[in-house]
Amino acid sequence: MKKSDDLQKKWTPYLYVLPAFFLILLLIVYPVVTSLSLSLKNKVTSHFTLDNYHYFFTDQVQLGNIGYTLFVAVMTVILALLLGFMLALYIRFNNNSLSKTVVALTVLPQFIPGLVAVYSIMLVVRNGGVLSRIAQSLGFTFNPNLMYSANGLIMVNLWFNIPFAALLLLASLANVRQASIESARDIGADKWTVLFKIILPATYKQFFIAGAFVFMTNVGSFTTPFLMGGNNPQMLGVVLYKEFNQYLDYNKAAALSVILFLLCSLSAIVYVIVNLRQEKWR
Amino acid sequence: MKFWKKATAAAAGVLLLAGLAGCSSSSASSKKASSSSVKQTTVTLWAGGSQNVKDGMSKIVSAFNASPEGKKYHLNLEFILSGTSAASLQDRLVAAKKAGQKKTNYDLILASDSDYAAYTQLGGKSIFEKYDKSQISNLKNDKATISAGKGYLVPYRGTTVVLAYDSAKVKNPPKTAKELYAWIKANPGKFAYNTPESGGAGAAFVQTAVYNYLPKAALTSSDTKWANQWNKGLSLLKSLNSSMYKSGGKVVYPNKNQGTMDLLANGQVEMIPAWQDMTTMALTAGTLPKTVKMTQISPAFTGNLDSLVIPSIGSNKKGAEAVMNFMLSKKAQNILVDTMAAIPVIDQKEITSDNLKYIKGLNAKDFRFSSTGNLATQLIQKWDSEIGNGVK
Repeated sequence: MKKSDDLQKKWTPYLYVLPAFFLILLLIVYPVVTSLSLSLKNKVTSHFTLDNYHYFFTDQVQLGNIGYTLFVAVMTVILALLLGFMLALYIRFNNNSLSKTVVALTVLPQFIPGLVAVYSIMLVVRNGGVLSRIAQSLGFTFNPNLMYSANGLIMVNLWFNIPFAALLLLASLANVRQASIESARDIGADKWTVLFKIILPATYKQFFIAGAFVFMTNVGSFTTPFLMGGNNPQMLGVVLYKEFNQYLDYNKAAALSVILFLLCSLSAIVYVIVNLRQEKWR
Repeated sequence: MKFWKKATAAAAGVLLLAGLAGCSSSSASSKKASSSSVKQTTVTLWAGGSQNVKDGMSKIVSAFNASPEGKKYHLNLEFILSGTSAASLQDRLVAAKKAGQKKTNYDLILASDSDYAAYTQLGGKSIFEKYDKSQISNLKNDKATISAGKGYLVPYRGTTVVLAYDSAKVKNPPKTAKELYAWIKANPGKFAYNTPESGGAGAAFVQTAVYNYLPKAALTSSDTKWANQWNKGLSLLKSLNSSMYKSGGKVVYPNKNQGTMDLLANGQVEMIPAWQDMTTMALTAGTLPKTVKMTQISPAFTGNLDSLVIPSIGSNKKGAEAVMNFMLSKKAQNILVDTMAAIPVIDQKEITSDNLKYIKGLNAKDFRFSSTGNLATQLIQKWDSEIGNGVK
């Protein structure tokens, strides 16, 4: 009786983990392994080759696409963190009806389907769209030129990601004790000192975590760049779609998937390192 | 208590795995008509495509079932919406044929004449069965002529790429391809075509620009020797590049057929190549301004003739032929014009639909077809590398 109890204790956790484990095995590990093996094969002969990778790292157009993707993703991360942090600070240290409305608005983008959001934004910012028409009715010509450009892509990405970053940073700001700030003020610390000596040290970890998530979701994004992006350079999500669906070059598509996977892993590594680091100061 | 916890967890795991395994084996099976007292047999029509095809075909199906023939045959529709990553109709039918299946419910399918080549290439000529002329009395009214599959395919509707333009701004639209290219150069920034890989309208523009320089036979050939003669057309497209629509000073080829249509609707451009049925639907829905008109240039942009064809592995040939006959009737043709803005294959005098005013002057009879197989993809790739990725 005792023994079977022990056995139960030992195996129950595994049973709980099993469904999730099989899902991961089936939907993540298996595709990654097949992509990897497919990416190392020649399209015609199926022999081992590195040509598929060689293509993406030597072709001028593809190098441009990789650089463009990184540019858009990194700019999105930087701006989303900066603006998201400002938003979080405002919400954390103001408690009035306006700040409550801001909180409600912050959550809103998470409930709007991406496709609907992108089309709505396009309607407003496209040349000849709502903004242009308002300008025209006021008697001057104005074209935002946000369609088919990196600026437009980054703007839409920010629309999606600022609220997300703000919510994550807000969670860490909740850890900053009001008492710490008040006592710092009592001994004569100004606003900037409070920010750099108390608030930032308590939240910097969350910056990396939020940044990692924002980077990951944007580096492989498809909907926004497909609908709003130009013809060249293009973001890798769209390139991947073309290789797979239009050119039917599955080997190159697999190689690009692996490259995207590695790019995402970079931010995953940041995430893991930050999480493992010991809290030093508290 | 503990036991139950464990049991539920285990059951959940098993169910999950069973569910996953089940996904792959569940295939679309048709509903068999209940064997009622009347000796009615079932005909299943398989179709694929966009929502407008589905809407049109659903109407056809209920009209057929309400017709006198509907007492003898009950028509079912199996529809595979495009872009849902479901196995395509072509894959399914070819697979069933190769697996040696017989007497399936693939009684009748929709296929264009360019599809026909692919079907027979993959599944052999015996994949389809010839129809019996004597069973399809309406065939004499069918004005369309197909480029492939005579005796097998019954063309029932046409659709083609046309030139859509804003008549408020363009008073004298070009009549020939040469005039069009001259117009584009004379009016920089006022013309746009979508990337050929993202929609048929742009693909037709690119294809005709290239194949206008080639002999007529090239457009219906998949012989790779024609690829060597693309250069003239490609350099024409390159020379047009700088006159295309620009946003922020950069030339833009929008994605998807809808992309250029949006530019036309906003007045950003004055002329685009567009699908005739899509443009008509946009005009009737009011998403395009009323001043937008359609015209065909000469030589024409390419189009498609959609057809009905009987797979040899089906099980109700007589019923399929009854549906073919119905599809060519005045009633069915009017439904197609109404719901899909299709170009009818029977005499346009027989059409009473309001949509007729949009398709006047477009005849299924004088369509220009293309069937270049794999070359179509290669041409798109070529366009991408030499024009889409920036003209050097």
